Amino acid sequence: MTLLDFARGPALQWSLIILVIGVMWRIAGALLIMAKKDLSKPRRKTAVRDGLTTIATRSLPEHQFEKKIRLQHYSGYTWHITLFISVLFFAPHILFFESILGFGWPHLPNDVILVTAAIALAILLALVIRRASHPVQRLISNADDYISVVVVIVPLVTGILASAHIGARYETLLAIHLLTVEALFVWFPFGKLMHAALTFPSRFQAGAAFGRKGVKA
Amino acid sequence: MSVYSAAFRDFRESLEHLGTDTPSEGISDDERVQRAKKTFMEKLDGRMAVDLETCIHCGMCAEACHFYEATQDEKYAPVYKIDPLRRFYRRELSPMRWLYKPFTHDITAEDLETWQELVYDACTGCGRCDMMCPMGIRLSELINVMRQGLASAGFVPAELRALQNEQRDNNTVFGVGADKLREIIDRLGRQGIEIPLDKGQAEVLVLTTAVEVLLFSDTLAATAKIMNQLGADWTMLSQGFEAANLGLVSGDEATQRAATARLAEQAQACSAKIVILPESGHAYQALRWEGANVLGEVLPFEVLAMSEFIAREMDAGRLKLKSPANGSSVTYHDPCRLGRHGGVIEQPRQVLKALGLDFREADSNGRENFCCGGGCGEYVIKRAAPLRHKAFEVKKREFDETGADAVVTSCANCRINLMIGADNAGWQKPIESLVEKVAASLAE
Repeated sequence: MTLLDFARGPALQWSLIILVIGVMWRIAGALLIMAKKDLSKPRRKTAVRDGLTTIATRSLPEHQFEKKIRLQHYSGYTWHITLFISVLFFAPHILFFESILGFGWPHLPNDVILVTAAIALAILLALVIRRASHPVQRLISNADDYISVVVVIVPLVTGILASAHIGARYETLLAIHLLTVEALFVWFPFGKLMHAALTFPSRFQAGAAFGRKGVKA
Repeated sequence: MSVYSAAFRDFRESLEHLGTDTPSEGISDDERVQRAKKTFMEKLDGRMAVDLETCIHCGMCAEACHFYEATQDEKYAPVYKIDPLRRFYRRELSPMRWLYKPFTHDITAEDLETWQELVYDACTGCGRCDMMCPMGIRLSELINVMRQGLASAGFVPAELRALQNEQRDNNTVFGVGADKLREIIDRLGRQGIEIPLDKGQAEVLVLTTAVEVLLFSDTLAATAKIMNQLGADWTMLSQGFEAANLGLVSGDEATQRAATARLAEQAQACSAKIVILPESGHAYQALRWEGANVLGEVLPFEVLAMSEFIAREMDAGRLKLKSPANGSSVTYHDPCRLGRHGGVIEQPRQVLKALGLDFREADSNGRENFCCGGGCGEYVIKRAAPLRHKAFEVKKREFDETGADAVVTSCANCRINLMIGADNAGWQKPIESLVEKVAASLAE
């Protein structure tokens, strides 16, 4: 079995198993801790609508707070958008998704993907430097914050190298890229990358809780 | 009431002596930690678990906090204020605790002692960080659990503990009992302001606070004028008038429950359909939003803040006001537990505009309003005064930017704290009561 066969075969299967079971375990484990029913009389009974609204609105810039968090807000937007473009619109990725899903979608030129991946990488590096230097972020950071950055940076770097054919044979670069993505899958349920899934229930419950008091969250 | 009145000076002086003779609780370090952990375990629920799982340590919550804004000290980041609770959760409750436990420090009595300052002196539970968090994490709820854990571990600051013990043991706050209430009601009666006391049956039960009785009797008089003009079937009760809840602010749930139960029993005894809370943000939260939950049953009466009640009566055309004139300019300070935590945001504005005042919004307002800096009992903690005064600078700057002649609020505790801040800073702008503004505009 070559390194690429290993990366495409058992490593991929096991990393996906750990990812799926881990995500389900962590979400269910948190949600299964019971919450008491709120017995106060609600000001309005629009909890579901308020919760869904907050899921959307917490992604938008806020008037009063925007002045203070502009750097984090817009670097966050740019990072997530460039990451999604790099993952979802790169031709080889689409072929991979098509092999699993049975359908594909149009891709962007490789040069565009290289640029978006490079931007994502640069932002992530800038944010990790900020984390290590900003007094508040430095104080509240733990190992998870840095491990999570590393497991995201490394696939970006190996992906750029593989697509640009730099440093080794393409098959070797591809295998390394796949293995680094699989390392991300394995880490995902254990660290803060889980916010990708947990953001939705967290925002929803904030919207619903404030909404029943008549306050837009 | 003038900022420099004798009563205000006396009250400030009395705060200096608060808690000086409160005995230490004499609990061993191990016992303190065990008690805090037991409380954390009891109070953390599924919603809080989701919040604790979701935090990405972005630190944006710091930018919402008035204490961080005033000092730029990183330890005042709200997420840091819950660090012992987060560590407890990761070790004992998280679905991944088997992985996290070996890498997460256990909490110690030293931690709890250190976090006392962060949780009581440097957090008023205002919830502004709840509005900032991009993940929707309600940090104020988690900080409240921190307060409850610290309270069970005997780490409530002496001043707050003195007040909480007094309410628990004597059913009084600042020494104000039935006799003092009667004295004020008699005095107002001599001025022609009638307050029905201890009516057997009444549709509306009106509550007050010790602070109103001691310092802001004009607000109590204003409340009476409004109720009487409406011709309401109302009463106050000598055995159930105190709306302040020191259990809520200190984190002692037994005291909170007892104070709430007392009010609920009194309201039912006089068959009240509506209970009106005085100008007090935390009292509103304690009865309106937490009352049913601490008692474990739906309250059989409606709970309204006085400002909310006034707006409703104005809307219904029952409250008769003088014709609005071109009034002086005012801005409104939203009490956190009435506004952001309570939903009473538009009503006070509606009232002020109906009075014909030139209403000017501060830069931070409504759901995004900055706390007065002394809420949730913070203003009685003596050692926190320098921090509080720095936080007042944030409010002062925003008030000044409006150019308004006066600041109006609807919480006596916010009012006192702002007055103390103003007094300390030599700032002369009046800080007034919404209810008093309305009473001054009642039609003859």
